[in-house]
Amino acid sequence: MFHWLEKNPFFFAVGVFLVIAYAGLITILPDFMNSARPVVGTKPYTVLQLAGRHAYIKDSCNACHSQLIRPFKSETDRYGMYSLSGEYAYDRPFLWGSKRTGPDLMRVGNYRTTDWLENHMLDPASVVPGSIMPKYGHMFNNKANIETAYAEAVTVKKVFNVPYDEKDMPKLGSFEEAQKLALEEAKEIVDNMKNPTVKEAYAKGEIKEIVALIAYLNSLK
Amino acid sequence: MQSSSMINYDYSVAKLFAFATIILGIVGMLIGVLIAFQMAYPELNNLAGEYGTFGRLRPLHTDSVIFGFLVSGIFSTWYYVGQRVLKVSMAESPFLMALGKIHFVLYLLVVAAVVVSLLLGITTSKEYAEFEWPIDIGIVVIWVMWGMSIFGLIGIRREKTLYISVWYYIATFLGVAMLYLFNNMEVPTYFASGGYGDWWHSVSMYAGTNDAMVQWWYGHNAVAFVFTVPIIAMIYYFLPKESGQPIFSYKLSLLSFWGLMFVYLWAGGHHLLYSTVPDWVQTMGSIFSIVLILPSWGSAINMLLTMKGEWQQLKENPLIKFMVLASTFYMFSTLEGPIQAIKSVNALAHFTDWIPGHVHDGTLGWVGFMIIAALLHMTPRMFKKELYSKKLMESQFWIQTTGIVLYFSSMWIAGITQGMMWRATDQYGNLAYSFIDTVNVLHPYYTIRGVGGLLYLAGFIMFAYNFYKTITAGRVIEEEPRSASPMAA
Amino acid sequence: MNWLNDNVNLLGLLGAAAIIVITVFVVGKYIKQMKTDKSTGELADENWDGIGEYKNPLPVGWALSFLGTMVWALWYFLAGYPLNGYSQIGEYNEEVAAYNTKFESKWANPDAETLQGMGEGVFLVQCAPCHGITGDGINGKATDLTSWGTEEAIVHTILNGSKGMNFPLGEMPAGLLDENSAKAVAAYMTEKVSKTGTKNSDLVATGEALWATCAGCHGEDGKGMGGSAPDIASYGKPEFVASVLNHGKKGVIGTMPSFNDGRLTDIQKLAVGKYVNSLTQ
Ligand code: HEC
Ligand code: HEC
Ligand code: HEC
Ligand code: HEM
Ligand code: HEM
Ligand SMILES: [Ca+2]
Ligand SMILES: [Ca+2]
Ligand SMILES: [Cu+2]
Repeated sequence: MFHWLEKNPFFFAVGVFLVIAYAGLITILPDFMNSARPVVGTKPYTVLQLAGRHAYIKDSCNACHSQLIRPFKSETDRYGMYSLSGEYAYDRPFLWGSKRTGPDLMRVGNYRTTDWLENHMLDPASVVPGSIMPKYGHMFNNKANIETAYAEAVTVKKVFNVPYDEKDMPKLGSFEEAQKLALEEAKEIVDNMKNPTVKEAYAKGEIKEIVALIAYLNSLK
Repeated sequence: MQSSSMINYDYSVAKLFAFATIILGIVGMLIGVLIAFQMAYPELNNLAGEYGTFGRLRPLHTDSVIFGFLVSGIFSTWYYVGQRVLKVSMAESPFLMALGKIHFVLYLLVVAAVVVSLLLGITTSKEYAEFEWPIDIGIVVIWVMWGMSIFGLIGIRREKTLYISVWYYIATFLGVAMLYLFNNMEVPTYFASGGYGDWWHSVSMYAGTNDAMVQWWYGHNAVAFVFTVPIIAMIYYFLPKESGQPIFSYKLSLLSFWGLMFVYLWAGGHHLLYSTVPDWVQTMGSIFSIVLILPSWGSAINMLLTMKGEWQQLKENPLIKFMVLASTFYMFSTLEGPIQAIKSVNALAHFTDWIPGHVHDGTLGWVGFMIIAALLHMTPRMFKKELYSKKLMESQFWIQTTGIVLYFSSMWIAGITQGMMWRATDQYGNLAYSFIDTVNVLHPYYTIRGVGGLLYLAGFIMFAYNFYKTITAGRVIEEEPRSASPMAA
Repeated sequence: MNWLNDNVNLLGLLGAAAIIVITVFVVGKYIKQMKTDKSTGELADENWDGIGEYKNPLPVGWALSFLGTMVWALWYFLAGYPLNGYSQIGEYNEEVAAYNTKFESKWANPDAETLQGMGEGVFLVQCAPCHGITGDGINGKATDLTSWGTEEAIVHTILNGSKGMNFPLGEMPAGLLDENSAKAVAAYMTEKVSKTGTKNSDLVATGEALWATCAGCHGEDGKGMGGSAPDIASYGKPEFVASVLNHGKKGVIGTMPSFNDGRLTDIQKLAVGKYVNSLTQ
């Protein structure tokens, strides 16, 4: 039979395709609905946090940092409670990472704070001697992309029914409203920061990337 | 039977992709060396502002070696091997000729788009699938064109039975097509939101755990259908051809092929062990990884047995050396991977440097060496020139082998040390090390890895030089050699 | 610390050894055949670009190993990690329960030395990223713990106030007393309230007279009036540090997170407190 296939490329290709195609269906589909259900209390990201998440992706923090706490005592002691599937229900894309050059950040908001993160992102080795994490000075100058974050939030609300604007959930509203909300939310972070560029920009109604990033990191709990 | 020497094969597309392979190989590995040294000397992150940081460069490294070096190596060998084992020249079909050339031009355009977008930080973050939707579309078009070339050439073939290499090229085409499409299901936000934000931005169709499942179903099988299957296609052609030896066993070829196709797709769960995906999916991942050893080893053993009794060739011919060592590293990494896929071993190995160690056993030892050997075999035949220097190839071989050994031994030690330190407790049951302790101990190993990478890159540049000298200053050969490639001392 | 008591470490190392040994052994065997054997077999009719193909049977070792892995796979699925019986969270719960039982029986009544040692370990992992390895606060990025909890620190607090632990009484205002009076109160407080001992015993009496300023919020005994303000009778002691860990502190220098997410047990909190106190000496 195989020799026959080798003489009939069409059927050969169909055969190969069938042999490789179904494994995915069998492993992925059965638990698809279950895995998508949010844990009680999980909320979608606010527009500001989402902009920070985009900054995180833009600089590929996930190349060095995981966001997945495995159920081992050594990990829960270091990073906190192990991860649950439903906690990721609003993560598009997922950011588990596959390499821990730096520590896990799944719950970093529990044990690091705005001012620490500000110092650390500007010059990691100044707070953690010997750190090999790059400096992220450019995040203090780049503007956060609030508009794209808003576009994403509107998209997932429309297409995937993510519960924005519902009771106890983050608000979107029109783009102008969303911008205003983001500014309000950024205030507390900017107040807790020291960098003059960031503060001056904020006074002019502009949010820097670092502010959004810290909003995102603080939300990781 | 028509003798193959009567057909005038047209290698123009194969040549173009061969140039691309070499140039993108140098670029990708240069970035690899840079990021390797950045992990030892973080000041190197400051060379080019935000564009030179580790996070921006790492995806550029993986994507330029995979989609640059490796994939153009696959295309180059296809445009060479395909014609010969199907016994039909591309020149016989103006359509296929034109298609091949457009294929190359489009490929270059997409490569340029990838480089620019990754440097700007435009990425979706999914490993080996970082590209935003406009580039995805370009990639799909390129892939479809390659498929048309494969099936077009098969359609006008003279050789009725498909050679083993063609099986593997077909599988590469189908596998990647399916995987890439499903993993890149994304919604462009500019259009969905009614015109807000960056037009190229998109959001994944899947969320959280599901996104992870689809990504690693893709990621694992990208390893299968890009790092493995097409490279097997190459070795099944180039090793017997260069050595003049018949393949050891058809049965072994057959079982290995269908076994590999059947088993590989199930093993993706081993990237998600102890994550939030269901336990049974993880267990499946572990199981099929172990079963996968044998179909993988089948091809490698078939190659080693093809060289039975040919010690002389191994000693004399650097190309055979490259290919035998490639098979060896293929066996090495396809035993290493499965062992890392056992749950308790993965508990230690996952997230550590042992994984990049495993990766580069495969990519440097198996993929890199096989592509180098393939290009060296093709060069005298495509350009009708004798290879410029055997001595250079010999030194290249030893320099690169040393590089690989330094790379993997340092990453093994680094990874296992790191994994044990993360778990270690003191006598009171507290964690014994702060995270930064586990970073600082790795400094010497990161340095050694960087040196290993530098040696490998140096060898690759020697290879590029040899290639260049062959086509510009090699002695012209009248008739194509049947087996061993001609080379000057 | 014993690396090899840990199953995971042991299996990892065995796995690494197996990878090298098996590959070297098997490849070595075939390399030897390159030296000694001859290639033989019946050739198939087909031939591609000059490449022939033998009709040799499967190598027996390969075929048997293939079957072997399938048997192992069945075992792993049905017995090793049984399909309907295994849960990684269950395994984790067992791991933690076993640890806790052992910990509680072993360190039920830790002596001072144990607490100090345990505290040092916790400090280096959990606190050093902000307070520095020596506890000096990394150039003012967090409280300098080598001088925290002392008499001078009390003076500093009285002059500058304190905020951020979220007590019902809110903030303690700055400038409640002038410097000399503050010194006196600090002497009284360390001598009589927190009982850590003062260097200025001559000022205790003066301080006692001024204590009412403080008692308004902290109570006559300094115990914080049932949680309205911090219990400063424990100031400079492990218990106070533990209370900081429970409350967190959003102060003037910056914000310190609370440690209520289960990463530290009560004993560990006291232990790290003990260690922090030892930094002043
Ligand atoms: C080259 C690797 C690398 C990259 C890229 C990187 N980091 Fe790090 N990161 C580290 C290392 C190593 C540490 C541990 C040492 C330290 O705390 O500085 C760390 C620590 C951290 C911490 C402290 C976590 C803790 O528990 O102490 C945070 C927060 C962090 N990184 C955020 C980021 C963000 C955000 C980005 C991207 C913008 C990023 N990192 C990019 C390597 C990296
Ligand atoms: C208006 C109420 C009030 C008065 C009066 C007051 N305190 Fe306090 N005190 C507080 C509160 C509230 C806190 C907790 C502040 C915080 O969140 O850190 C505190 C904190 C403290 C602390 C701990 C500071 C630290 O490092 O965490 C000390 C020591 C202290 N008080 C001493 C005194 C002394 C001595 C006096 C008298 C001179 C005094 N307090 C008067 C309300 C008061
Ligand atoms: C993310 C940073 C961070 C971490 C982690 C941290 N601290 Fe702090 N800590 C601070 C900052 C900032 C302050 C100063 C708050 C202020 O402005 O008064 C502080 C203050 C303190 C104080 C003085 C509080 C007071 O009442 O004046 C103590 C005691 C302390 N930390 C102990 C610890 C211990 C013990 C740990 C570890 C178990 C720890 N800290 C971990 C940031 C941190
Ligand atoms: C000069 C040679 C090379 C050097 C020095 C090098 C170096 C590196 C470094 C430093 C990393 C990052 C590891 C980490 O984050 O811890 C990496 C990742 C990677 N490299 Fe290379 N590399 C080289 C060649 C190659 C080649 C030729 C390929 C493929 C054909 C390749 C494929 C990859 C892949 C797939 C990853 C990602 C691994 C992972 O995510 O686990 N590399 N490389
Ligand atoms: C039988 C074959 C193989 C199996 C079962 C296997 C298994 C594994 C496992 C278990 C991991 C680690 C996942 C983790 O813990 O993060 C891994 C990672 C990886 N392997 Fe393999 N491996 C095999 C062969 C290969 C080969 C031949 C190559 C390359 C030539 C390769 C390339 C990679 C890459 C690139 C990664 C990194 C993925 C990432 O980014 O995290 N593997 N493999
Ligand atoms: Ca990876
Ligand atoms: Ca994409
Ligand atoms: Cu895999």
